[in-house]
Amino acid sequence: MILLLKNKVISQNLICLIILVFFFQGKIFSQQINGLNLGASPESYSAASDGELYPILSSAEAEREGGLKDNLLSTGNRLKFADYLFQQEDYLRALNEYREFLRYEDNDSVRYRLAESFFRIGRFNEAADNFKGLFFGSDLSDEAILGFYKSSFFKGNYKEFRELTATPIYMPDKYVTEINRLYFISHFMDNTLPYDTAKLFTAFPDSNRQEVKNFYRSRKFSEYKSPVTAALLSVAIPGLGKVYAGEVGDGITSFITTGLLVFLSVNNFDHDHNFRGWLFAGMAALSYGGTIYGSAASAQIYNAGIKFNLDNEIKLYFEKRNYFLPKLEF
Amino acid sequence: MKRFFSTYLLFALSLSIYAQDNLSIQFDYANTLYKTGQYFDAITEFKRLLFFSPQKKYSYDANILIGKCYKAGAKFDDAIKYFSVAELNTNSAEQKIEAKFQIVRANILRRTTNRALEILNELEKEISQKQLLDSVNYWKGWSYIFADNWKEASAAFGKIKSNHELKKLCDQIENDKVSVTFTKVISYILPGSGQIYTGNILPGLMSFGWNILGGYLTVNSFVEDRVFDGAVIGSLIWLRFYRGNIQGAENSAIQKNIDISNKALRFLQFEYKGAKP
Repeated sequence: MILLLKNKVISQNLICLIILVFFFQGKIFSQQINGLNLGASPESYSAASDGELYPILSSAEAEREGGLKDNLLSTGNRLKFADYLFQQEDYLRALNEYREFLRYEDNDSVRYRLAESFFRIGRFNEAADNFKGLFFGSDLSDEAILGFYKSSFFKGNYKEFRELTATPIYMPDKYVTEINRLYFISHFMDNTLPYDTAKLFTAFPDSNRQEVKNFYRSRKFSEYKSPVTAALLSVAIPGLGKVYAGEVGDGITSFITTGLLVFLSVNNFDHDHNFRGWLFAGMAALSYGGTIYGSAASAQIYNAGIKFNLDNEIKLYFEKRNYFLPKLEF
Repeated sequence: MKRFFSTYLLFALSLSIYAQDNLSIQFDYANTLYKTGQYFDAITEFKRLLFFSPQKKYSYDANILIGKCYKAGAKFDDAIKYFSVAELNTNSAEQKIEAKFQIVRANILRRTTNRALEILNELEKEISQKQLLDSVNYWKGWSYIFADNWKEASAAFGKIKSNHELKKLCDQIENDKVSVTFTKVISYILPGSGQIYTGNILPGLMSFGWNILGGYLTVNSFVEDRVFDGAVIGSLIWLRFYRGNIQGAENSAIQKNIDISNKALRFLQFEYKGAKP
């Protein structure tokens, strides 16, 4: 080094070189860091959700953060990658990429796909919020309003959903039939079907109307068993309540068991075996009480079974038909 | 001129040291995320790399690492999918075998033991090197462990080395386990003894007591010529306790064996230092 420094020309070259190397090194590394830190963190989701939705960066910020325009994280590449993830049904990652894209460029179609990604992973609140952002001044406003209503529907609070549909100001002409149909489906889902069925049945296509009518009848006039009646029947004849609730085998067994224990008790008392008499009397009382309680419980189980099966049947029917919602291409 | 040339030369050399194409930077970044346990982000970055890598240079490595990330997140179906894609993009026989072993390991964790064994049997036919055959037997052993078949596991580890540490463990577990059939048989002979044998002393003694009482009442009724009483008490009380004693003994033996297996699995999970699925 000392020898080198003695040579003035070489030392000048060396200084130039060091400056250049540090300059370019810094640039390359900053490109790496800037480029690679663009992946969104879970914290940034919430930050964006709480405040303004996906604010677009100023050109200076974009230049600072984006750095390389042709790298893997350029906005164009991000969008291509996000669409690929969306097609692969990797919606969680797709929405992350769409969100990052929207920091640099505004695009209604991307906003729509972002909301749709939230919807498809079951984050209905965020989906509804993002659909809401496209209500006004967008070519996709009708689709966004439909998206908003379907997100509200799938949240599962059907009463709140019906209240929302009562605000006609938001109703898009293009999809009013679909939203109206969702309104009636919500009645099927939470078993609050109206008695006036004129509007209800006409909301569904002709090909499905008969099935919907059948569901309506099953929902409205299901043959439930009364737990009180079941208990009273078992008070009269042990086990009869269980037979009424559909458990014939259990009913007969209860009848025989209770009858046998009563007989044993009486028989023992007759033969002056008082201890055994009381023992069997106690057992007979337990069996009798148990049969009465069991009959009421059987009726409740029977009713729960009917409700559960019908709920499932209705849900599967509408799910299979995608709740009669149109399949949108975007 | 001379000064300019020397400066340019040194500068060009320095750039060649640091220059790295975007794809390799991306791979390194994704790999760093994987190594630091940020599996979700690592998968995203590996997928980005694959999407923008037209020459499929990173197909094998990226797919294997995506599979490992999914495996770390217990998403075994996805892990197997990506390991299988990696297997289709291998550049050498070693990579193909490695991908197959990864598929086997994910199958072991997914408890699809038959599929794991099927792949291992196929591998066994294909390879001849001792080291690889040892690996096949090692993962066969693990497959059997996860299927709670410690005897077969011991046999598989024994093929690697007669005193393999996992063979010793499997043998010990097999010895510690109680026979469900034996427990039931002794309960048939002496009610309550099965539960006592499996370590449940109090329930065993209670079961013994109930059976003595039921037996006494039944026999006493017959002795006093109350045949109907005897038949009813025998069938409703004694037989109920007798059958309960056998079922209790069986459940007790099954539960004891589950406890022994779980203890061994906990040891393997937290304390065993060798390769794990």
